[in-house]
Amino acid sequence: MSLEITRALEALAVAACETAYPEEGCGLLIGPVPPDLAAPERAVVVDEVRPLANGWDASAKTNRYAIDPRELARVEAALAPAGRGVVGFFHSHPDAPAWPSPFDLALAWPCVSYWILRVDQGRLSDSRSWRRSDDGRSFVEEAIHLEG
Amino acid sequence: MSIEIRLPTALRALAGQQASVAVEAATVGEALDALFARHERLKGQLLGPDGKLRSFVNVYVDEDDVRDKQGLQTPLKDGDAVLIVPAIAGGSPAAAAPELTKEERRRYSRHLLLPEVGAEGQRKLKAASVLCIGAGGLGSPLALYLAAAGVGRIGLVDFDAVDESNLQRQILHDTPSVGTPKLESAKKRLAALNPNVTIETYEMKLSSANAVELFKKYDVIADGTDNFPTRYLVNDACVLTGHPNAYGSIFRFEGQLSVFAAKDGPCYRCLYPEPPPPGLVPSCAEGGVLGVLPGVIGTMQAIETLKLILGIGRPLAGRLMLYDALEQSWRTLKVRKNPDCPVCGKNPTIKAPIDYEAFCGLKEKTPPVIPEMTVEELKAKLDKKDKFVLIDVREVHEFEAARIPGSTLIPLGELDKRHVEIDRTVLVVVHCRSGARSARAVQFLRGKGFDAVNVAGGILAWAERVDPSLSVD
Repeated sequence: MSLEITRALEALAVAACETAYPEEGCGLLIGPVPPDLAAPERAVVVDEVRPLANGWDASAKTNRYAIDPRELARVEAALAPAGRGVVGFFHSHPDAPAWPSPFDLALAWPCVSYWILRVDQGRLSDSRSWRRSDDGRSFVEEAIHLEG
Repeated sequence: MSIEIRLPTALRALAGQQASVAVEAATVGEALDALFARHERLKGQLLGPDGKLRSFVNVYVDEDDVRDKQGLQTPLKDGDAVLIVPAIAGGSPAAAAPELTKEERRRYSRHLLLPEVGAEGQRKLKAASVLCIGAGGLGSPLALYLAAAGVGRIGLVDFDAVDESNLQRQILHDTPSVGTPKLESAKKRLAALNPNVTIETYEMKLSSANAVELFKKYDVIADGTDNFPTRYLVNDACVLTGHPNAYGSIFRFEGQLSVFAAKDGPCYRCLYPEPPPPGLVPSCAEGGVLGVLPGVIGTMQAIETLKLILGIGRPLAGRLMLYDALEQSWRTLKVRKNPDCPVCGKNPTIKAPIDYEAFCGLKEKTPPVIPEMTVEELKAKLDKKDKFVLIDVREVHEFEAARIPGSTLIPLGELDKRHVEIDRTVLVVVHCRSGARSARAVQFLRGKGFDAVNVAGGILAWAERVDPSLSVD
């Protein structure tokens, strides 16, 4: 189980989260939708990173993020004909561990990667990727394979 | 009507890997039912136990959210596309602050009115945890106000039972609870005040072995202890675990207040690198304390604790406040971080809790030999009119109630300043009530070069064996 991403794409997500600090940054991880989507051990391959505006209301952007569902629907609709899709999401935890919060878990979906970047004082200090367990009760950490 | 249901990648795994599913339906509800009939697992993901769409699932007909139309009853026409889009949201752990119930919104309404607190701040309080060291004079107002304010989890460490002499100031406890564990009466009182708060009790002595693990379970530590070994232990464990310490201490009519070990702030050791010589600073049990004083200082600790949790105002880190109840005055002293501090400095030497009894000089390997005389020997000396001075180191009220003829009063707490009044050319005989305080006084005076001896058994022995007419409590 792993997240496969290039260094250039990683840098794009890091830059988005560092720029968003002290608010949470977020965005989409896009790639080919594999035929074995639900296979628990499969790798999630990312070939495009698309940072999005944090859609949470202004009062709590420092510890919440939301992705506009209409935007997500539009992106998915445009990608589907080519067999591509949103295979994961990234968001940052400003000055907090790169571990999923109970709130992350409550709203997590199966089979996609949740990549959390810890940003301390505006600089990346840790990043970890997670997938929701089948029963929805926990997150399982996956390896991040950086290429290029 | 033939409808296409489109699924995002995150849901396709539950729908046979398909990006879209074609169904026959006249309403959104029918379309979803047809979808669930084919893909059972989707149902549990999208519908709550009440059969309604979960709040974090959005359903669109083309670009329109069905919540803005007729919900599941929204009619469909041939060729419509129904989009199911999960809300993608989350956030850092701090954000997992729990929501407030209606009852809580009413209870905390005066907080919610404050822009600096508001619902967001009140939820922070609900999510927060504070460990109070001691459920006594300072711990009482502190824990009461923290519970009233809605701090979600309050830990109390204490191992004493309620004594009648506590009730003059320890307002967590009451007359019927005398003789029962302090934690029992504290828990009962706090739970009655605010049932929304979780009270966790630790009936044990805080020690080098348990402090670090215990502190890790809480956000803020509030030190209301009355002795130096525990005070240094709390400080070191706070620094080592990165916890701020809302600190207070009291003595007679005076109080001290600060926030130690806050981020980049000084710690207790920066202010007091070494403890005072053992026995020289009397405890409240020996020196007395005005009952209301811990009410002032403990309440101030509660204010600093709330500020730390809410992240508002200017925390008292780097400042020491001194309160004098007799003068009714506050003085503020600057406390600087000591770069050479052994625990929070640049090159710390203390990396784990140490032996604080030994550090505070309370556990000497060979106890010093204190020369003693019996009350009979004292009586003989007085009768012979030998040249010596008799010093009584008890408190004024004890002296006024009963005294040995010919004695001079210098309370133990004043000995440090007043020993110069004593004639150092003659023998100094020192007594107190039972001989414990005077033993410390003798040790101190001998250290200063006096020829001092202790009266074994103190005035209690005197009243028992020499002058039974004397009534000593």
